[in-house]
Amino acid sequence: MNRVTNRTWLMALFILVLVGGMLFFLGDYWMHADQWIASPGSPHVYNNTNLGCGTVVDRSGNVLLDIGTERSYSENTTTRKSTLHWLGDRKGFISAAAVSHYAGSMVGFDRINGIYDSGTEGGVAELTLSVNAQNTAYEAMNGRKGTVAVYNYKTGQILCAVSTPTFDPDNVPDIEGDTSGAWEGVYLNRFTQSTYVPGSIFKVVTTGAALDCVPGIYDESFLCTGRIQYGEGEHVATVTCERAHGTMDLKSALANSCNCAFAQIAELVGRQNMEKYVEQFQVVEPLKFDGVTTARGNYNIEGAGAASFAWSCIGQHSNTINPARFMTFMGAIANGGQAMEPYLMAQVKNGEEITYQAEGKLSDRIMSKEVAETLKAYLRSNVKNIYGDWKFPGGLHVCGKSGTSQLGGGERSNAMFAGFVDDERYPLAFICVVENGGYGSATCIPVLSKVLSACMSAMDAA
Amino acid sequence: MEVLENLMRNQAAIGDMTIHILRYLAPMLAVFLLARCMKPLLTFRKEPEIWAWLNMPDGTQIPITHWESVIGRSKSCDVTIDFPTVSRNHAVLTRYDDGSWTISDAGSKGGVEVNGKKVQICALHSRSRISIGGVEMYLQPITEKQEVRQAQLRTKAANGWDTVANLLLLSILQILMALGFMLSGTEESVVPVLQGFGGIIACQWLLFLFYAMIHRASFEVETLAFFLCTMGMAAIVTVKPGETVKQLIAMVLGVFTFLLIGWSLRDLERAKKFRYLATVAGVGFLVITLVFGTEYYGAKNWLIIGGMSLQPSELSKVCFVFAGASTMDRIMQKRNIFMFIVYSVLICGCLALMNDFGTALIFFCAFLIIAYLRSGSVGTVALAITALGFAGVIALKIAPHALQRFATWRHIWGDPFDAGYQQCQALMCLASGGLFGLGPGRGLLQHVFAADSDIVFATISEEWGLIMAVLTVACIVVLACFSIRTAQMARSAFYSIGAITAAGVLVVQTILNCLGTLDVLPFTGVPFPLLSNGGTSMIGAWGLLAFVKASDTRQNASFAVRLKGKEKS
Repeated sequence: MNRVTNRTWLMALFILVLVGGMLFFLGDYWMHADQWIASPGSPHVYNNTNLGCGTVVDRSGNVLLDIGTERSYSENTTTRKSTLHWLGDRKGFISAAAVSHYAGSMVGFDRINGIYDSGTEGGVAELTLSVNAQNTAYEAMNGRKGTVAVYNYKTGQILCAVSTPTFDPDNVPDIEGDTSGAWEGVYLNRFTQSTYVPGSIFKVVTTGAALDCVPGIYDESFLCTGRIQYGEGEHVATVTCERAHGTMDLKSALANSCNCAFAQIAELVGRQNMEKYVEQFQVVEPLKFDGVTTARGNYNIEGAGAASFAWSCIGQHSNTINPARFMTFMGAIANGGQAMEPYLMAQVKNGEEITYQAEGKLSDRIMSKEVAETLKAYLRSNVKNIYGDWKFPGGLHVCGKSGTSQLGGGERSNAMFAGFVDDERYPLAFICVVENGGYGSATCIPVLSKVLSACMSAMDAA
Repeated sequence: MEVLENLMRNQAAIGDMTIHILRYLAPMLAVFLLARCMKPLLTFRKEPEIWAWLNMPDGTQIPITHWESVIGRSKSCDVTIDFPTVSRNHAVLTRYDDGSWTISDAGSKGGVEVNGKKVQICALHSRSRISIGGVEMYLQPITEKQEVRQAQLRTKAANGWDTVANLLLLSILQILMALGFMLSGTEESVVPVLQGFGGIIACQWLLFLFYAMIHRASFEVETLAFFLCTMGMAAIVTVKPGETVKQLIAMVLGVFTFLLIGWSLRDLERAKKFRYLATVAGVGFLVITLVFGTEYYGAKNWLIIGGMSLQPSELSKVCFVFAGASTMDRIMQKRNIFMFIVYSVLICGCLALMNDFGTALIFFCAFLIIAYLRSGSVGTVALAITALGFAGVIALKIAPHALQRFATWRHIWGDPFDAGYQQCQALMCLASGGLFGLGPGRGLLQHVFAADSDIVFATISEEWGLIMAVLTVACIVVLACFSIRTAQMARSAFYSIGAITAAGVLVVQTILNCLGTLDVLPFTGVPFPLLSNGGTSMIGAWGLLAFVKASDTRQNASFAVRLKGKEKS
């Protein structure tokens, strides 16, 4: 009998496994429960991958989304459409990562009471967006696909960022059954998730590189005959302009957006330097804010011939950029070489308690103050002398560069315009992309003009 | 009209207020109840008992302190006779319920002689001359008077009023829980709530009355079991309100099984007969499942009869414990150990064909426990080899199917919407509830598959709080600790092995279910004893409890142990 009774300790081993496992789990709970709760799919916090609790308002307190028992969007149809890509749809096809990133702060979790105190009501998330600017932008896009975005390069607040096409979540169209292509990419937030061939707006990058690394670049002059030929016979490749621009310096090469001149500037800068400055200016790097990681752009000149390298400095070749990242690049130039990084979430409140408060984040310096100042002057001269100040809201010192990115395959070019307002009161950097929109300045400036006005009113109101 | 609206609004407010209080009150009551049940189970005094004296030729008296004692040269024997002609394990001395004694040869070299005749097994009378390897001795049982005195000295299990107080506490908790459900639920939920909780309350008081009638006072094990059933019912009311009656019937059947097995264990001779029945039934249940069973998720362990889905392997576990338990004299015979090995191989074969990883693992652990407790010096090697074979079959035949589950182990957050879905949802909801829960019916885990069975721990935690959920595990731990203590005092090895194995199965199931849900261990989908929704598993768990209960020798404790006083009258 002793033999059996002495061996009953075996049971203690099993008990130890159970108790040890439970203690391990309780430790895990204490350390990580707040992360579990805010993980995507958490039933009390999310609706699919999108936020499933709380209220989302714009910078002036207009309710954009109220997730009580059901997900109710704004009462205004245009607002529902213009803000959809930041809020997500009911079925979770559109993933609104920036807002859901703060689910944990909105739900008001503590280890003792879980989410009992905040219940399903959740907190209030205040976005930096202005509903007026969003709606103005949506209407100005006028059914065309693309994106238009504006942010304050002194604070980092995104005032407007619209992606089209979009739809009314309260009146969902038949997207699956559509064959016209009207809804192509509708679930993407083009501002953060898309990349585009930059076209001539990329010449700002090349100009920045040249200003920094080519000694005596101010004294260089470039001759444009409308065409430069590389190679002989079968291997011939060309860089062309729409017309012969004649002789120019760097500033007027940028103002004329002269491809032939930039082909020559490319040679002065050189391949190695070009790669170095693309990296230094971070123009193809993904941008990270509010839990969003934007799409990575592309600059790859490996194995590229002389003509291809030249085209890469003009913004064609295989180059792509993400609109949010390029807008930030514009902000950096405006801000003297160092960008305030954009953000969308201003503040999260749970009851009276502020659970999240945005703080502007200054990025690394990407270019010297001198280069930034010179670029600013060049971009200002573009608007003043080429595009025309009169096209923008009265009295604004707008700096910018247009782009008409060729897509090949007989598709109409994408219209691009990137720049900023050089004004202490309205420190706004912006980007506008209209897919298949044709000429950059002609298509984008009217859109931007309206959106900038709306953003300025929103700032005045504050 | 306005008055009515006000009333409605007030009712909602009162409901919220009640839930607000309830979420703190319920775990407090439960902690108090568990502490009250735990104390007598874990702190009772181990009384030394002497049943007879062995008078040696030199005049010394060796006390016999168990009903089953091994005599031999080995130090691990109950009575050690260090003499060269005595085998290491020579003979087994056994006392029976009626006070009679036998001696049996444990396969010794020198043999056992009683009154000069060589015997295999022989009843002993007072002054019977025993010769073990040439060493002569005789057995002197204690007198009946001494026996009565000894019985009176044994710790009284409990005082009846303590039990009534415990049951009242549990009933208050149950009523509060039902009230909570009715306040926060819809009108349709009232009937299932009343049926479910009311049924448990009625059942526990009826069982208590029955105990009172047969003069048994210890009700702690049963109280803990009813507490677990109550929490399980809370999960079912939330997840599948239509199944409360089904689960209640299963619980009543479980209680009957508990009483039946307890009754069969009460008399060791009867228990031995039942053991044959159980042995056949154990394999029978598995074979029936294999022939007529239905395959779910790759494992063939379901039997559908007239719309009812049964899992006979749950009952097989109880039978396996029965088959594995054995008295000391049988343990000492090699033939019996080989019979058990053959039986285990048979079971193992059935499990391999069934492909159910969780069940196989539980049987394997049960086998390990039995093997370890039974293994004498000879059998150790043979048992070790069988254990290896058992493990091999699990590894080769069954594990590949379970590997997918292992792949997500500790990586559930990498795939929260597919492979790790159930566990991620479980952890998220569990965290939502915090320590005190969101309130009855207010959880969202109920929409996830198996919220009332495989991941029931998280469902309880979400609605009733982590404290309450941890208490359910604590109940199992208390029962297991209790089984160690009683197994050490049990009259027969049969009871010790039975209690430890049964408790072992309960603990292993809890480990697999609970730690699997929480991603501490791989997820195997095994039911939590008494808590998970599932009829056969409920009946099986009560059956296992009977073994734990049967080994309890405290006075008035267990219906499975005869009352000495009553016998005399």
